[in-house]
Amino acid sequence: MAERIVFDPSLYLSEAVDAAAEAYSEHAQINVTAADGSIAAEIAETGEHDEKVIAHAFSNHVLFETIARKQQAALDEGA
Amino acid sequence: MATEGEAQQSRLGFTLGADQVSFDLEESVYPLEAVYGAAYLFLDRCFVYLTRPSADSVGVRLTAQEAGSEDLEKLAGEFANELLSQTLRLKLAQSTARIREYYTAAALRAATSAPSVDELLAELESEELLEDPLEIMVPWEEKHASDQTDGEGTESDPKAKDG
Repeated sequence: MAERIVFDPSLYLSEAVDAAAEAYSEHAQINVTAADGSIAAEIAETGEHDEKVIAHAFSNHVLFETIARKQQAALDEGA
Repeated sequence: MATEGEAQQSRLGFTLGADQVSFDLEESVYPLEAVYGAAYLFLDRCFVYLTRPSADSVGVRLTAQEAGSEDLEKLAGEFANELLSQTLRLKLAQSTARIREYYTAAALRAATSAPSVDELLAELESEELLEDPLEIMVPWEEKHASDQTDGEGTESDPKAKDG
């Protein structure tokens, strides 16, 4: 059964979700959809890895990408 | 990702699950930037997931990377402490932003208006440095040559005294 994670767009950037999905494409099949004002990622076919662990790690990566991008945007704004 | 197992309230007011701990934060108390700052520092220790339980609050869920590997209440307490630290740092940065901008601008202004080496040399040349009203640059022998010839052998002449 696929793991589904919903990211609130006020907390996570959609481009961060896309970047994380691309980074995890080797480990799992991740389908990103945007609907009803939220971004959802469905994680399946994780191979020998536990789906829950991959889902948690993926969610960490999305948060990391979001923070890094927001920091870079703040730096660019200040420059 | 649904919360697993039965949740219970911890001593510090966090909601404890089997391998995760969660709590809500008022955004008016803890700005989102501070939440990001604290979350960033915990990304290598646990899985961090943020939710939006209401328009003005942020939900934080920390999940142990391996079941039983972390004291979850301690983890959440450390996160809360880090959150306070990040909030204070952010507020200090905001309150001192204008003075930092002022000093940076003043330093840059001073750097751009600093004279070049050629300008400094030209300034030196234009100054009348060779004027020496107190005759500081005149050697002692030259300055007192007339005294030596006039009063040779007198007590006031140190050379005559030695000789």
